[in-house]
Amino acid sequence: MPPLAGWTLTVTGFVGKSPVLDHVMRLLVNDYFIPLLICLIMLILWLSQRDRLKRDRLQRTVMNAAVAIGISAAFVKVINAWANPWPRPFLVNDAIIRESARHAAETIFYFPTDPTFPSNGATIAFAAATGVWLGNRKAGALLYFLATLWAVARFYAGIHFFVDVAGGAAIGILTSLFISKVFMPRIEPLPTWVMKLCRLLYLA
Amino acid sequence: MALDYFILVFISSLGVYQITAIHAKLDGLCFFKNRVLQFIFGLLAIIGAFVWFYTSQDRNIHTKVEGSQQLGLFLASIVASYLFTAIMASIMQAKVTSKEGFPREGKQYDMGMETLKKTTLFGGIMSSLRRERKDKV
Repeated sequence: MPPLAGWTLTVTGFVGKSPVLDHVMRLLVNDYFIPLLICLIMLILWLSQRDRLKRDRLQRTVMNAAVAIGISAAFVKVINAWANPWPRPFLVNDAIIRESARHAAETIFYFPTDPTFPSNGATIAFAAATGVWLGNRKAGALLYFLATLWAVARFYAGIHFFVDVAGGAAIGILTSLFISKVFMPRIEPLPTWVMKLCRLLYLA
Repeated sequence: MALDYFILVFISSLGVYQITAIHAKLDGLCFFKNRVLQFIFGLLAIIGAFVWFYTSQDRNIHTKVEGSQQLGLFLASIVASYLFTAIMASIMQAKVTSKEGFPREGKQYDMGMETLKKTTLFGGIMSSLRRERKDKV
């Protein structure tokens, strides 16, 4: 069992007590809803600037965030291939936590079969938020808010321990910082060529 | 589920293109001359796509649409939607002739999305072809 496993019992204990909250959480925890909102916000950022130079800068920010999403997701796959430190909350030996998480997952979501640590959703959402935040503080703050909602919803649904989502968020943030500050500047002129190709195709 | 997701992204990004085209003044992507109508169309496309997706069936089920496949579907769908928007706008604005002429000496030609401020996708392609032909002569 991971540290702070008892928090799962506290949070999943709320499931079934408020139908409205459960309905909201069913939407927030969904595999498509928040990821798509995040991607659509990134699409708005890609297009919305009137000034060509500002648009170019923002498009590079979005490109960095998109690369960070891909690399951090790949990083999670690598971690999962090497280590699976603990089972999902609804599969642990502790009967009280297991039954509470099982009830939550059954009511709000479904029973995922992939490893629990780190949370894939938290990783990619925080990677996107950090990448965008480095170029646009307002949009970045909005994405951090959405990423936090998604992480909380997955914790509430009993499919992750707190450590899973916190670890995923940390991996996403650090990967994104590395991609934006170190990796992308180092691989120049490749990003510039990609931007030129997009411009040639009227996509940028 | 994959097809449903593709349609959701296609329609919602169509709405995003219409709304952001107003702000970015990308007239070459606009379906309507009336900005209010265009905004309402964009908003309805986004809301309608989400409402259809989430009310047509239960989406909190275990499916085979994995994260990487989801990303691929998203990228394919936004590009398809962008092309659809640009082509539709070109057809709908066919009567409007390209305002893009040849720039004054020392000024650069607009490229890529910047072109869509003054003309449609077809207009931009045609004028770049004309420029190429003139440069050869």
